[in-house]
Amino acid sequence: MAAASGIPGYSGPYAVGRYAAALRERLRGFARVSLIGEVAGVRMGRGPNVYFELRDRDGAVPCAMWRTDFDRLGLRDGELCDGAEVVVAGHCDYYPGGATASPRFSFRVGDLRLAGEGDLLARLDRLRRQLTAEGLLDPQKRLPRPALPRSIGVVTAEGGAARRDLLAGLERRSWRGRIVWAYAPVQDRRAAPALAAAIRELAAVADVETIVVTRGGGSIADLWAFCDETLCRTVAMLPVPVVSAVGHEVDRTLIDDVAAVCCSTPTHAAEAVVGVDCAVARATLRRSAARVDALGRAALASRARALGASSRAPREHIRRERRHLHQKTRELRAASGRGLDERRDFQRRVAVTVVGRKLAVAERRGADERSVLGARLARLERAAASLSERRAAALREHAAALRAADPERALERGYALALDGAGAPLATARAVRAADTFDLRMADGTIPARVSGGASEGDR
Amino acid sequence: MSAEERAGTHPASYEAAVERLEQIIARLDSNQAGLRETLELCREGKGLIEFAAGELEAVGAGLEELRLDELVARLEVEQRSAG
Repeated sequence: MAAASGIPGYSGPYAVGRYAAALRERLRGFARVSLIGEVAGVRMGRGPNVYFELRDRDGAVPCAMWRTDFDRLGLRDGELCDGAEVVVAGHCDYYPGGATASPRFSFRVGDLRLAGEGDLLARLDRLRRQLTAEGLLDPQKRLPRPALPRSIGVVTAEGGAARRDLLAGLERRSWRGRIVWAYAPVQDRRAAPALAAAIRELAAVADVETIVVTRGGGSIADLWAFCDETLCRTVAMLPVPVVSAVGHEVDRTLIDDVAAVCCSTPTHAAEAVVGVDCAVARATLRRSAARVDALGRAALASRARALGASSRAPREHIRRERRHLHQKTRELRAASGRGLDERRDFQRRVAVTVVGRKLAVAERRGADERSVLGARLARLERAAASLSERRAAALREHAAALRAADPERALERGYALALDGAGAPLATARAVRAADTFDLRMADGTIPARVSGGASEGDR
Repeated sequence: MSAEERAGTHPASYEAAVERLEQIIARLDSNQAGLRETLELCREGKGLIEFAAGELEAVGAGLEELRLDELVARLEVEQRSAG
């Protein structure tokens, strides 16, 4: 039997069964590892194996697990389901098949556990860092978001509590516009693609202005669909703003990071989507309308009053000026009368003052003169008195002298006085002889006498 | 709000209308606007009030609920009949 010839450049040909067996051995020689991913296509037939695929965004591996190993895990019915995140441990394997059996590559799973919160959070953290680095957390936040949308798109589970809460929140806002419901599964492996499709289709509806994505709370595994990378990339690049309200306040999914607004509950989402309380806004608008109307009317009325006042202005001006002139005239008259009186009064006061001053000066001067005169009078009186006294003294002296010289006194002492016929004294003997007759006056009477004889001794 | 919007065309949104309306009332309240400006502001304000009232009216008549799948089907029918 001749050997089969090969193809130039390649070794062989080898028998495929041998090659397949060698391939199995080679693959089984790969390192034993653990993998994490999402379960898909679970098949639990009656055969000795449980089959499923382990997937993530970048690839997938077919897995096979011996039924006995699977039963030993103690998982409850349905826990290994499509969409479940699991960690598997095992190695590569290859079933070489045969003449009537198809070959099959698989990852032989020796152990398996459901992914824990830590596994999911670590994966979420990696995804978050990746989207952040790509700048996908910001585009939604830059989109303009209407405060009063007429039409809202909502992605949620049909009949869920989130739907009811959202409606109650919108009713509290007194918002009664249009809602386009896009119902989608919110928790299994079908959820993420269905959510992404619903969001895309809502964004394509022309009058949907804002989209709400909401569901109730749950574990991170329950909410894992909202951390789907494809879904979050879809939301990030959407031209319509998305408001996310997934889970409760403590739950933070990836869609919350990329959405325009992240709310903790569907009720809060309603308040975020409709930014105004419509009932309050209507009342405010009515007040604004009344205010604008009143301000407009007031502006017109004030101008009209000003115009009316301006039209009356000339007549009023003349009347005012006339009143002003009359007033000034009266004031002038009164002022001139007051001026005359004041002038008279002033002159009178001046005259009184001047006269008073002159009178005072005259009085002072009179007093001074009276004083001087008094002094002089006193001096005169004193002089007169002195003179009188001196004269009296002199008189007294003279009187004494006279009395001393008084012939009467001499007569009294016995002397006699010869008097001529006329009564004039005859002082000498000659005069007596010349007179011949004379009167001889004595103290007690006069005696006529005559010269007789010659000359007496006395004549010599 | 743009000059075009102020010139009498519709404002961009309800919130833009309300913001501009508040500015107008503040200006009128200040008593600093002349007569012509006052009349223009009143006219613009009334237009904004009508617009905002229309927006509130649109979301006040009654809740309308549609299903996306039904809406898409209807739009497809309309598109086909139009084509």
